[in-house]
Amino acid sequence: MEILVLVKPVPESESRLRPSPDGRQLDTEGVKFVLAGYDESAVEQALLLKESVPGSKVRAVALGPAARAEEVLRATLALGCDAATLLEAPPGRELDGAETARALALAAAKGPADLILLGKQSGDQETGILPTALAARIGRPGFSNVLDLRWDPGSNRFRFARATEAGEERWEVPAPLVVGLQQAWNDPRTAKLQNILRSRKLPIDRIPAAEVAAALGPAPRESATKFLLPPPRTGAKMIEYGRPEEAAEQLVRILRDTARVLP
Amino acid sequence: MAALPAGFGMPEFDLTEDQRALQEMARKFARSVMAPRAAECDRKGLFPEDIYRKGWELGLMNLNVPSEYGGSGLSLFDQCMIVEELAYGCGGMTTSIIANCLALEPILLGGTEDQRRSVLTPFCREYQMASFCLTEPGGGSDAGGLQTLARKDGDSYVVSGEKCFITNAPHAKLFTVFTTVDPALRHKGITAFYVPRDTEGIVPGKDEEKMGHRASSTSTVRFENVRIPVSQRLGAEGDGFSVAMRTLDMTRTPIGALATGIGQAALDHAAAYSLQRRSFGKPIGEHQAIQMKLARMATLLHASRLLTRHAARLIDGGQNATLESSMAKSFASDAAMEVTDEAIQIFGGYGYMKEYPVEKLHRDAKLTQIYEGSNEIQRIVIARELLKKYQH
Amino acid sequence: MSRGVLAVAESVDGHLAASGREAAAAARSLSEGGTVTGLVLGTALAGPAGELSRAGVDRVLTMEAPALEGRRALPWAAGIAAAAAATSASVVVLPGTAFGRELAGAVGSLWDAPATAGVTEIVGSDAEGIEVARPAFGGRATQRLKLTGPRIVLALRANSVPPAPPAAVPAPIEPIPAPELAAGILAGEPVGFAAAASTGGPELTQAAIVVSGGRGLKAPENFALLEELARSLGAAVGASRAVTDAGWKPSSYQVGQTGKSVAPQLYVAVGISGAIQHLVGMMSSRVIVAINSDPNAPIFRVADFGIVGDLFQIVPALTAEIRRVRGLAEPGRSPGA
Repeated sequence: MEILVLVKPVPESESRLRPSPDGRQLDTEGVKFVLAGYDESAVEQALLLKESVPGSKVRAVALGPAARAEEVLRATLALGCDAATLLEAPPGRELDGAETARALALAAAKGPADLILLGKQSGDQETGILPTALAARIGRPGFSNVLDLRWDPGSNRFRFARATEAGEERWEVPAPLVVGLQQAWNDPRTAKLQNILRSRKLPIDRIPAAEVAAALGPAPRESATKFLLPPPRTGAKMIEYGRPEEAAEQLVRILRDTARVLP
Repeated sequence: MAALPAGFGMPEFDLTEDQRALQEMARKFARSVMAPRAAECDRKGLFPEDIYRKGWELGLMNLNVPSEYGGSGLSLFDQCMIVEELAYGCGGMTTSIIANCLALEPILLGGTEDQRRSVLTPFCREYQMASFCLTEPGGGSDAGGLQTLARKDGDSYVVSGEKCFITNAPHAKLFTVFTTVDPALRHKGITAFYVPRDTEGIVPGKDEEKMGHRASSTSTVRFENVRIPVSQRLGAEGDGFSVAMRTLDMTRTPIGALATGIGQAALDHAAAYSLQRRSFGKPIGEHQAIQMKLARMATLLHASRLLTRHAARLIDGGQNATLESSMAKSFASDAAMEVTDEAIQIFGGYGYMKEYPVEKLHRDAKLTQIYEGSNEIQRIVIARELLKKYQH
Repeated sequence: MSRGVLAVAESVDGHLAASGREAAAAARSLSEGGTVTGLVLGTALAGPAGELSRAGVDRVLTMEAPALEGRRALPWAAGIAAAAAATSASVVVLPGTAFGRELAGAVGSLWDAPATAGVTEIVGSDAEGIEVARPAFGGRATQRLKLTGPRIVLALRANSVPPAPPAAVPAPIEPIPAPELAAGILAGEPVGFAAAASTGGPELTQAAIVVSGGRGLKAPENFALLEELARSLGAAVGASRAVTDAGWKPSSYQVGQTGKSVAPQLYVAVGISGAIQHLVGMMSSRVIVAINSDPNAPIFRVADFGIVGDLFQIVPALTAEIRRVRGLAEPGRSPGA
């Protein structure tokens, strides 16, 4: 099975968030970009499928500024991906979801893939629209919020569950398929030290920024306007009380009359 | 306060991308696997074998074993970098994780190619622990005065005696043991062997109750007429002292890194707390009394890291760094004591409570002044090396 | 500047989903006098279409086709793009559900339009485009962004837009044919469905009020206390990871980084210490109340209101007080008794 797993370099989860000098977006100065969140699960799932279907290959693909994308791709190679493709983002160009899908489609077009896997949403903007944006772009079925993704060699089909508000749907869909993954079978693995060292020397295929830019529309259609942090939570207003009933009375009064959140 | 604050390491100006990747991996393991269990293991004196096994799987256990035997084959510099990260998560667990490096180093230094291949390879193929048996109840730093006797008998030796404070001994599958063929010969009689745990007559004692490093396991090991074939001797009779000293030359520097990791955790906790805890209308971190402390703590840690990395660089370059490694070990461990002490002071009454993480760090730091050559011995070595330079 | 806006609604058990009413209300605010068209897709659409016709839209289109029955993003997106073209809509508003996000991506690509999802606020709208706000970084920040061009796609976040009051006169309902769908995007089929373990109230991510319990409840059977409180508030019940890991509640209850993200109007954390894992899943809630016996629990740092005390005393008192002010009967007793 040929698997493409798409990963996005995102700020480390403990990163301090602050607005850039122009106030429009996250200040990335000094921020470390890593493989994280659902993308980590997607890589894990890709490797699990590879291990369960002999002869499978996993290629990781990342779109972003070259240095960041390279680090994330090296992390996927250390984890066990077989090859990597780096799509260099045109510097300074903001991409909307449909354009990101166009860029990623360039990597998908380089070779046949039975499965294109990505996290159901990125660890930064968390929009969650990319799996189906890419599926629509390349004309393959696409499902997101997927769990328990399995390949059934007998029927040549993927079997999986899709989480919805009401419960879990079960689906059977033949390859090729695009999946936005919610959860892998396992917690994501950690790369072994020896594999980290080995991965540093592996080649990474590159699609240059000019080629990516040519796949985009003439002008950006989405731009960040303001990055806002919530006012620092200064800690709860603690309710002083004698008997539990007094605490309840005070809290209900606040929720009803001041905060106005009671039905 | 169970969760560690986000670490503010010193700027890593001299690391390559490869080193950063290794550091990152060790950091993640330390903070997501070791740290969450550190308090419980400390409180209950648990030996978290699952964590050690996981550390082994990731290649964190036999850092010094060359890759031709299946080990990680890291430079001492990289070992130090990793040990510091691990110690940030838990000093005691780190002691148990790096005990294999200490126990296997004599085989690397004193063993034949056949011995290395047959002994080291299994450690890299499956999870197992080894223990380094040098110290005896009658004396630790006086390695020339060993009493454990190896009596030659045909093509083997019969070894009798007792070793103490042996890390991982209750769990070890292999021991490297330092004996004397004749106590009267002092240093010249010291002879080293390796011996599998299942050899008849090896009796590890019960786990000691320790002040710190409680996730690690420490016990005596009695050798009751243990028959060891000559083929398990490392070098010739009398080579043992040199093997032991050269081993400690290699493992001393990482102890400096271990102490630095403990200290860094203390600083991170204390600095984060100082911004959170308020007194007299502002965070205590805005009071100069606390700022003086934090500044000194950070400076001590930075100096520790530079001393340690410098010594490691020299050793990696094949130079003799007895002076520098003794400086690094003694300075960094003393610094860790001071830094963890001040962290408790910054936490005030909370710092003295076991519910908060810093008192454990202080207890853990203490051992780094004692083991792998007490700081007093280190200073004797420093002075000796120093005075050599003045003699004509 | 008036625009045509298409609001897409989902149905649940033959009824219009609440998220569809929210989409209709958001569409109305974006239309600035233009036509708001509601769209339902699938089969057996009479019920939901009727309800949508009173949700503040100018007309309702029903796109009935067996291929649209299972909720597949690409066929639906093709239908939505066709309906948008037929109604000359320049904006598509999608519901604040997991499927709504899937639709946003697919419609964006098919319609070649900028799309975003999880929109909590329409910040502004002019001839160039629409500025929206959406939470990012696990609710630790809000990103405002402007989408521009002749076509724009937005999916909302649940509970962000108040639905319009029911209209007295229903809007007209007309069928619209489904476009021809490429066989490739219809490959595969749904083979089963397992309903989520019922929390006994509204769905967690859609609820306006969420009451969550943690380890402090001490035993699984004590969740009954929380469920009582949730019933008095019409709230959904959630849980911390400690609780779902221990098997006290199924994982569908879990709020947090590896579970569900919620952003209700009111979040009540009971016996939850507040590990970061949990916090990132609920920090965008408008008002947070924490009840915990440990005054140092990190949850109090993100909560708006806190009660330190024994939850086994506080929670029943709170349930009783809420019932009293809401004029609800105690269970097992009729209102007149």
